[in-house]
Amino acid sequence: MELLKLIARRAVQLLVVLIVVSFFTFLLIRLLPGDPTDAIIPFGTEEQKAQLRDDLGLEEGFFQQYWDYVSGLAQGDLGHQYSSGRPVADLVEQSLPISLQLMIYAQVIALLFAIPLGVFAAYRSGSKSDSAINTTGFALLALPNFVLALVLSYFIGAELKWLPTSGYAPGWLDPLFDPSRTPDFGEHIRFMILPAITLAVGQIAIYMRLLRSDMIATLQENFITMAKAKGISNRRILWRHALRPSSLTLLTVAGLNVGVLIGGAIVVEVIFGIPGMGQKIGQAIFSREYVELQSYVVVIAVLFVLINFFVDFLYSVLDPRIRRARATT
Amino acid sequence: MRHAHRRGWTRLGAAVAVAGLLSFAFATSTSASESARVGHQKGGGDLTFALEAESTNYCLSTAQLAISGIQVVAAVYDTLTVPNDKGEAVPYLAKSVEPNADFTEWTIGLRDGITFHNGEPLDADAVKLNLDSYRGADGAPNVGPLFPVVLDFIADVQVTDPSTVTVTTSVPVFDFPNYLFQVGRFGIMAPEQLNSGEECQTNMIGTGPFKLEEYSQNEKTVVVKNDDYWQKGFPKADQITFVPVTEAATRVNGLQGGQSDIIHTSSAVAIDTLKGLGTSTAELLVQKPGYREIRYYVLLSDTAPFDNPDARQAFEMALDRDEINSIVNKGQFDLANGLMDVDAPGYLKQAGYPNHNLKKATSLASQVKSDVGSFDVILGTTTDPENSREAQLMKEQLAKAGIDAEIAQFDQATLINKALSGDIDVLLWRNLHGGYSNSADSDNYPWWSNADTGNFINFSKFNNDETQALLDEGRGESEKSAIDSTYQDFNKAMAENIYIVPVWFVDWAIGYSPDVNLTLPKIPDGGGKPLFVYGRIPVLGLGTS
Amino acid sequence: MPERPPETALVGDFETPDEQIVEESIEGGLLGQSAEIRVGAVAAGGEGRRRGPGLGLGAWLAIGWMVFIVLIAVLAKTGILTWGDAEESFGRCARKGPLADEGSASGFLLGCDSNGRDMIPRLALGAWTSMLVATGAIVVGFVIGGFLGLLAGYFGGKETRFGAVIVGALVGAVFGLIIGGVFFAVLIGLGDNLAGVLGVLFGALAGGFAGYRRGDLDVYLTGVFNVMLSVPAIVLALSLTAFLLGSADEAASGGGLPPELVLIIAIGVVSIPLVGRISRASALSWAQRDFVLAARAQGAKNGRIMVKELLPNVLPAMFSISLLGIAIAIVAEGTLAILGVGVRPPTPSWGNIIALDRGNLFKSPHIVFEASLLIFLTVLALNFLGDVVRSRFDVREGGI
Repeated sequence: MELLKLIARRAVQLLVVLIVVSFFTFLLIRLLPGDPTDAIIPFGTEEQKAQLRDDLGLEEGFFQQYWDYVSGLAQGDLGHQYSSGRPVADLVEQSLPISLQLMIYAQVIALLFAIPLGVFAAYRSGSKSDSAINTTGFALLALPNFVLALVLSYFIGAELKWLPTSGYAPGWLDPLFDPSRTPDFGEHIRFMILPAITLAVGQIAIYMRLLRSDMIATLQENFITMAKAKGISNRRILWRHALRPSSLTLLTVAGLNVGVLIGGAIVVEVIFGIPGMGQKIGQAIFSREYVELQSYVVVIAVLFVLINFFVDFLYSVLDPRIRRARATT
Repeated sequence: MRHAHRRGWTRLGAAVAVAGLLSFAFATSTSASESARVGHQKGGGDLTFALEAESTNYCLSTAQLAISGIQVVAAVYDTLTVPNDKGEAVPYLAKSVEPNADFTEWTIGLRDGITFHNGEPLDADAVKLNLDSYRGADGAPNVGPLFPVVLDFIADVQVTDPSTVTVTTSVPVFDFPNYLFQVGRFGIMAPEQLNSGEECQTNMIGTGPFKLEEYSQNEKTVVVKNDDYWQKGFPKADQITFVPVTEAATRVNGLQGGQSDIIHTSSAVAIDTLKGLGTSTAELLVQKPGYREIRYYVLLSDTAPFDNPDARQAFEMALDRDEINSIVNKGQFDLANGLMDVDAPGYLKQAGYPNHNLKKATSLASQVKSDVGSFDVILGTTTDPENSREAQLMKEQLAKAGIDAEIAQFDQATLINKALSGDIDVLLWRNLHGGYSNSADSDNYPWWSNADTGNFINFSKFNNDETQALLDEGRGESEKSAIDSTYQDFNKAMAENIYIVPVWFVDWAIGYSPDVNLTLPKIPDGGGKPLFVYGRIPVLGLGTS
Repeated sequence: MPERPPETALVGDFETPDEQIVEESIEGGLLGQSAEIRVGAVAAGGEGRRRGPGLGLGAWLAIGWMVFIVLIAVLAKTGILTWGDAEESFGRCARKGPLADEGSASGFLLGCDSNGRDMIPRLALGAWTSMLVATGAIVVGFVIGGFLGLLAGYFGGKETRFGAVIVGALVGAVFGLIIGGVFFAVLIGLGDNLAGVLGVLFGALAGGFAGYRRGDLDVYLTGVFNVMLSVPAIVLALSLTAFLLGSADEAASGGGLPPELVLIIAIGVVSIPLVGRISRASALSWAQRDFVLAARAQGAKNGRIMVKELLPNVLPAMFSISLLGIAIAIVAEGTLAILGVGVRPPTPSWGNIIALDRGNLFKSPHIVFEASLLIFLTVLALNFLGDVVRSRFDVREGGI
């Protein structure tokens, strides 16, 4: 029952978000002075532009246009690019898996580093190494991702020439969205390493600190003291007994952080020339492709809410205390 | 007990996997850095060409392609004529292009047996369809806004027989064969492409050495060998992958690191870098003086402040083009003092533009200010950093003369629109006005004919009887000395009026890996050697050695 | 094993917006003590922060750096001390500087950018622009978001007919405009303006009524915040900036909004829900305390309680968040500049110095590195100070 309520709540939230986000981006676009036909046929005559405006449906009423757009959305029609007429859905299909792979790699790398570091820091809380780790984490938090991207690009890409500074090759997720794309895993990894590391670094600090604080608290609890009294080794206590309950917050945040990553990915994609959705958003803004931009924003909002829902669901399923607490409402 | 082990092992396993992936990636890259550079690690004959931008519209009659698009077009399409290195527009896809006695009727003879990539024949009907679309004939599909203006002089296009098309013009146009090239934009499309409505923009079907295989916007455009190409023995390569890389420095880096086999660039700084790499890493083909592109500033001459010739003169004299050239181009480019390059008709070493003179500029500017009240200008350019930097330098120099400049940056499409609607006082622009033919008509007439003739591409919007008369005269002339003298007069007249401020000649360059064979095969039927014009290279001779 | 007892800081004492999200995602109202403790412990951090009197060395360094930056920014902007002209180009110095391939030019300590402009005055003036934008944006977020959050937290869960009706009506008006507008225009065929007005009216009525019935202001405000947060911040900021600047560029004659103001608005709007949720959580926990209940029992008016009792306690947390927020806003300005929207050249900002010469990274890295280093150190100092402020004013409570 609780689960159904949760699903209902999230569904309503999704709907609300969709409506509001789509409406306001739509509104903002229409409010902008300037004629999209200028972007498509800058050399056109007035008659040609009027015809184009009619074709694009720009002559209809405001609400009618909005309704057309939204009903199109519901059917999977994300509109068309002004300059080329290509369906935006195609562009999303092309670029979304790229950004998703980037974010997944970033999360994996971040967790791979953050978990051991967090556990270690909690274990040695208050010691010199704890301080050292904390300070490093703190410094990393302060490092903007575009700075790191540029630094890595320079040192590793240009000076040492170990990795490329721009470009992309399809990986495992691309064929799932568009079967015609053949993966080239070696190249794919080479192109994705630097951007993934750049995104991961900012997350490492956050996750590490989160986990560390959680673990410190957990390690105070009775069942830990009992385990110790039972003579279980420290390492086993850390990894087997303490980590799991402490990691819930971490995992929740990691899941929800995907939304933050989407934002961070934009500038990283631009700097490393990764043709993901972030780069597409940047370009759509540059070239005043507002319908395209509108659809990207909606797609992201939907994704974000869905991810939130998924994580929320997971959290409540995993943590028996929450389940119990909910049940008592 | 076992759980703990399993967890530990899982962790270890994950770490090993990651390490494995990383080492795999590094292994490939280490071998790359061992040799000076590496050709792209695909099969032989697969080349990667890094371009400076992505193009989204390949419906050639409606597109407004820049060099990146034109380079792709060179792979997928052929043009009826091409320029050779003597400045002649010679038949290429066409077998012959012959005028009548007074250059009012042109007969285009086609070769037999050429088919488009989809099997449709290249016959007179197909060529007529193309010409009609380009020129905007009634009922033609996919008519754009630009070419109808440029091809205004075409009166009629007729199919005389299956391999002959006759074009009649309303006035004598000696330079007609050049109009069939249009700096590489005039590719001949298959009727299927032209007739496919909006699909035309991505449905590339031509007669060219390569066929379109994949178009992933902003990622890559892949073209594969056309086995039935009409020039036997070509193309050499099996596949070309065009990749957009906007930043010149990244493009050069990609060439070094092996991501690209060929790149193009018009950035003096990048060319300098390429030269410094040494030929074991990158070879270089740089355009020579002769028919180069010009960088210039367009002054909007139909409204204040530049409707006043003194204001235009003040602007021109305030600019220190030497300084701009030395900072932006490391002094590498040659300054242009006229609208034509060395080998083009009308070339003058000094067409008569006033020299940089800050004092005179300042006094003229203050005169303008006292007449009109203020001397504010808006510099319009694209959003890319190189142009932005140049505009900032200009602003600084103008300020010294008391001219207040404001920089406005837009994407290309909006910039054109702003220029068209007269919102920008100074447009930072560049185009091929060095001319590349024995007549300077096709390069000058469309751009500089008077605004009141309906020529909206005249961004300066000037109307000048003298220049118009010279253009009309030059169009009909067929004798070299007459052509030269007419266009020289034109060059001088433009210099007198300073509607345009020429800045420098742009050297285009192709950087390529030593593994790449960059032959530019001779034009068939004794046409001569092809001209490396506007950064566009014929790709049929490209291959790996 | 840890030496100190578990830190059970206030629930409302959050360190990063992420923890807020965690709390929000756990269904409100039935947290159960363990979760609260957990989240609180996260916020505590336990950096080994000094508890004794006086500030540590680190804090003094950070303060010193911030004072330094603000000082050179103000000096540069007012023209009192500029160390050169930020807009004058020197041909002989173009692209030269420490680390540059072309070497250094004498007389230019930090080198020049690719136009030959001296880096020192540019960085100084850039400091002004970046700090102005960042601080302005956070002030917007602080004032609007903080106020809304305070309201939501204080009135959370309580009977607030009046406030709920107002906010409900507003929210209802928005939905009415959207749904009602579509309904009236598309299905019934009325004109756009009429449909819009009708939609707003109906929506406001429905919303106001719902507000009256529900009586909970908090729910609406939190809903608004959540919707705003469903679009990643950068995307929202980028879109807003592009739209607002777009109009300005259309004018292109010095009219329209100055880019700095546009950035302040865009980044400010984006920060409203972030600051709002934090101030709400803080206000929420404080509002449940005894002294607040006591004040109410004595008949003090809500407004008075909010200002006299709540605000002084919430402010320190807000101040700490603001410091962090300024740091984030500085980075945001940089990100937006790289994406091509932002302060118009030749006016320098740390962000657009990087954006402009990103293409010269390989040959003249000093340009990007110098601005990046300044950003990094400033963000570090602000983060540190934010943390210090928070832990200074952290009131420890034994148990919840």
